[in-house]
Amino acid sequence: MMDEIKKAIIEFAESSRKSKFYFKDMEKAVQEKVPGAKSRDIKKAATELINEGTLIYFSTGSTTMYGLKGRGVTEEERQQG
Amino acid sequence: MFSPKRPQKEIKYQELRIYTDEELRNYTEEELKEFKIKHPIPDVEELEKGPWPSFVADAKREALRRRKLADDRMMIDRYVVEDLLGQLQLSFEDGETHWKHGGIVGVFGYGGGVIGRYSDVPEKFPGVAHFHTIRVNQPASKFYKTDFLRALCDLWEYRGSGLMNMHGSTGDIILLGTTTDQLEPIFYDLTHELDQDLGGSGSNLRTPSCCIGRARCEWACYDTQDMCYEITMHYQDELHRPAFPYKFKIKFDGCPIGCVASIARADISVIGTWRDAIRIDQDAVKAYIEGDILPSGGAHRGRDWGKFDIKKEVLDLCPTKCMWMEDGKLVIDNNECVRCMHCITVMPRALRPGTDTGVSILIGAKAPILEGAQLSQVIVPFMKVEPPYDNVKELIDKVWEFWMEEGKNRERVGELIQRVGLPKFLEVLGLPPAPQMVKMPRTNPYIFWKEEDVPGGFTRDINEYRAKHKR
Amino acid sequence: MALSTGKYGKYDPQSPTKDRITDIGPRHFWEFFPPIIQRNYGKWLYHEVLEPGVLVHVSETGEKVYTVRCGSPRLMSVEYVREICDIADKYCDGYVRFTTRNNIEFMVDSLEKVQALKQELESRKFYSGSYKFPVGGTGACISNVVHTQGYIHCHTPATDASSLVKAVMDELFDYFKSMVLPAKVRVAVACCLNMCGAVHCSDIALLGIHRKPPIIDHEVIDQVCELPLVIASCPLGAISPDKTPEGKRTLKIKVERCMFCGNCYTMCPALPIADKTGDGVAILVGGKLSNRVSEPKFSKVVVAYLPNNFPRYPEVVQTVKKIVEVYAQDARKHERLGDWIERIGWERFFEKTGIPFTEHLIDDYRLAYDTYRTSTQFKFTEAAWEVSRAAGGIE
Repeated sequence: MMDEIKKAIIEFAESSRKSKFYFKDMEKAVQEKVPGAKSRDIKKAATELINEGTLIYFSTGSTTMYGLKGRGVTEEERQQG
Repeated sequence: MFSPKRPQKEIKYQELRIYTDEELRNYTEEELKEFKIKHPIPDVEELEKGPWPSFVADAKREALRRRKLADDRMMIDRYVVEDLLGQLQLSFEDGETHWKHGGIVGVFGYGGGVIGRYSDVPEKFPGVAHFHTIRVNQPASKFYKTDFLRALCDLWEYRGSGLMNMHGSTGDIILLGTTTDQLEPIFYDLTHELDQDLGGSGSNLRTPSCCIGRARCEWACYDTQDMCYEITMHYQDELHRPAFPYKFKIKFDGCPIGCVASIARADISVIGTWRDAIRIDQDAVKAYIEGDILPSGGAHRGRDWGKFDIKKEVLDLCPTKCMWMEDGKLVIDNNECVRCMHCITVMPRALRPGTDTGVSILIGAKAPILEGAQLSQVIVPFMKVEPPYDNVKELIDKVWEFWMEEGKNRERVGELIQRVGLPKFLEVLGLPPAPQMVKMPRTNPYIFWKEEDVPGGFTRDINEYRAKHKR
Repeated sequence: MALSTGKYGKYDPQSPTKDRITDIGPRHFWEFFPPIIQRNYGKWLYHEVLEPGVLVHVSETGEKVYTVRCGSPRLMSVEYVREICDIADKYCDGYVRFTTRNNIEFMVDSLEKVQALKQELESRKFYSGSYKFPVGGTGACISNVVHTQGYIHCHTPATDASSLVKAVMDELFDYFKSMVLPAKVRVAVACCLNMCGAVHCSDIALLGIHRKPPIIDHEVIDQVCELPLVIASCPLGAISPDKTPEGKRTLKIKVERCMFCGNCYTMCPALPIADKTGDGVAILVGGKLSNRVSEPKFSKVVVAYLPNNFPRYPEVVQTVKKIVEVYAQDARKHERLGDWIERIGWERFFEKTGIPFTEHLIDDYRLAYDTYRTSTQFKFTEAAWEVSRAAGGIE
């Protein structure tokens, strides 16, 4: 189940036009592919993906989103050129 | 009496310190008077004057300290404070901020606790090109030992700007300004040496906070620090790894006075209260009336308000008029009391809260963004609370489950309740409705009846109807 | 063990997860309580304010703890914190506390120590003459101001916070150091509508506001922002998709719908909203969050805009001072600012303070009707006669 969810997360992240997305949007996409996936499990899977270095957090300070590492220009990367 | 959930490292500054005594005294007052930072900052310097503590005069001594420290005794730009003041001057001139948005900075595996910040004029102020904030989870009710604070100061001066907030609005210690490469080393030393974690930011549980409670207040109706600590520890995952629709705050006030502002600022406001009688010492009441004890604990002693008048100052101000004098004695009809605490605060030596204490739980406060400001609303009028506070945790879990399921992106739980209606929210929590939850019943009759509310349900036969009523 | 030195200290960038410690939470509070607090935990009987800034709490054990409270600038250097530590080590066995409103509290166990401690605190001044640790902030006073980051650290502010607080507190300093007001007056500053400081229930709230819609950076917006998320971020649905003449994806803003909240900018750096002439300070009054006597209530906007006149904001400071002075003179004992206004009526408040009532103060957002007067119970002031004259009702 956990692997299935992780796979669904990556598929969603790769297919999405967005470089960053809310947990809820990711959750919805996963639940379409893996019916019955609980939000707690999806969070666990996302956390694992973060620890593995596949996903990253993106934060405005007030709001947090997830993103696929290496996609989308971050301020840090822009500054380093 | 209380103990941590796990053994904690003892903090000894002498063992932890980075700077020598000599390094800590590396400038004189004379040098400070003569000191000019590298940018002209006339408007900023204007704020050195006046009696209120000047953050500018204070920041300048940190700037001077950094001038005099050796190169290898600080890991970020020597001129970080000077550049910050310089950028502040430029912001005054431009009437606009010069900070850019956040980004992905953070410590590995955590989605909160660090706020990324970049200057939009880095060529002018290279010292603040990166100026990230770190939120450090404060100890409940903000008591400290100097060993801890001094160690934190050394760590922060060595790896950051040396500027901080004691404390931020939510309650955290705010360390203001460091570079990306220093985030992990700071986190490493915070956890390994100071045995101390980060606080929250972004779409997660924000650092819970509480009032001073029973540590030094006679009105606290439960152990605010203990519950704050327990809840903080229990929900560490929610605090560090955001998966909520938006931020979520929990605050613990010991009584209805609300020193930590939970009713205005927390998604879940836990407010101490009691359900038995206010304790009365009739001799002390008499002493107040006769002028032997100063009312309000002396809080008004700066002005002559005349002789204390119990009728004017207490009885008449009681919101439910549930107290009166009878044969020289104060009588309180506790059934009618709404526990506003005014009488207690005016005559603290005569009146005390009851002893059958617990909490009221109110939900949904927030600042105006997005749907307008809200105060928390009554959800549970009274709840007994004992460690490990399972009943409170159960309620929190239910609220989160519903909010994570139904909440829209960036929708606070108070806004969700507004959108779906309080009845729906109560149904989710499994709580019966009560008049305590509303100021008044609804004034419109547009009731969303459900099919099961009505005998026979909604399905009807048009032919049966027509048999009685011509078309 | 010591704190680490060198660029990365003991952290190994090659293996970031090695020996990693997470989820340990804050340090436990009990070890930070002074022994007298530990001994008397939960046993306090009553407290008294002996003089401005000095409290005594009396325990059922007979012990007394004296607290000396002083203001802090909130934005402080490690040097300032070390100075706090020096004082705490000298007088308080190394214990110190901070309050929710950024005050510092030093606790001692005798009156003699109080006097020495107080003298020490009051004697410490910056080279420029301002106090480092002004004693006060108790009882019927104006306590320290809770505030946000402003130009010091925020990307969306419409004003600065630290300087505004300094300017206001310099002017209200005597109220911090005395207890002459009818009740406590809580002042708060937030530098934009996001209100990190949640100032919406303060007696007096100073709020940074923008007055011009965002500028759209068409060049880069599609690269640096997720357009659908930006569109969704607008509370009033004023943002919609658009194309530049060159065919690039961008956004457009229905200006008449913009309420200048800056939410879109929070989601998208290509929509800067700050503007020198647009930005300024609004003043809200009459809020409270204590349940004492009257219920908690929101602050109401009484001045829609004053300019950001850095660094001293004379217009804002003078208006605040005026409000406090009229309140101090006119309110009854125990009456909070909002309760006083409700008793005398808002029309009287504007008359007494001389603050002009403008159309910007009449709500036209959601639920505005709740704030309209639907009764003939009002007082006549000059403002009423003006309406009567305009309507041809009187000469």
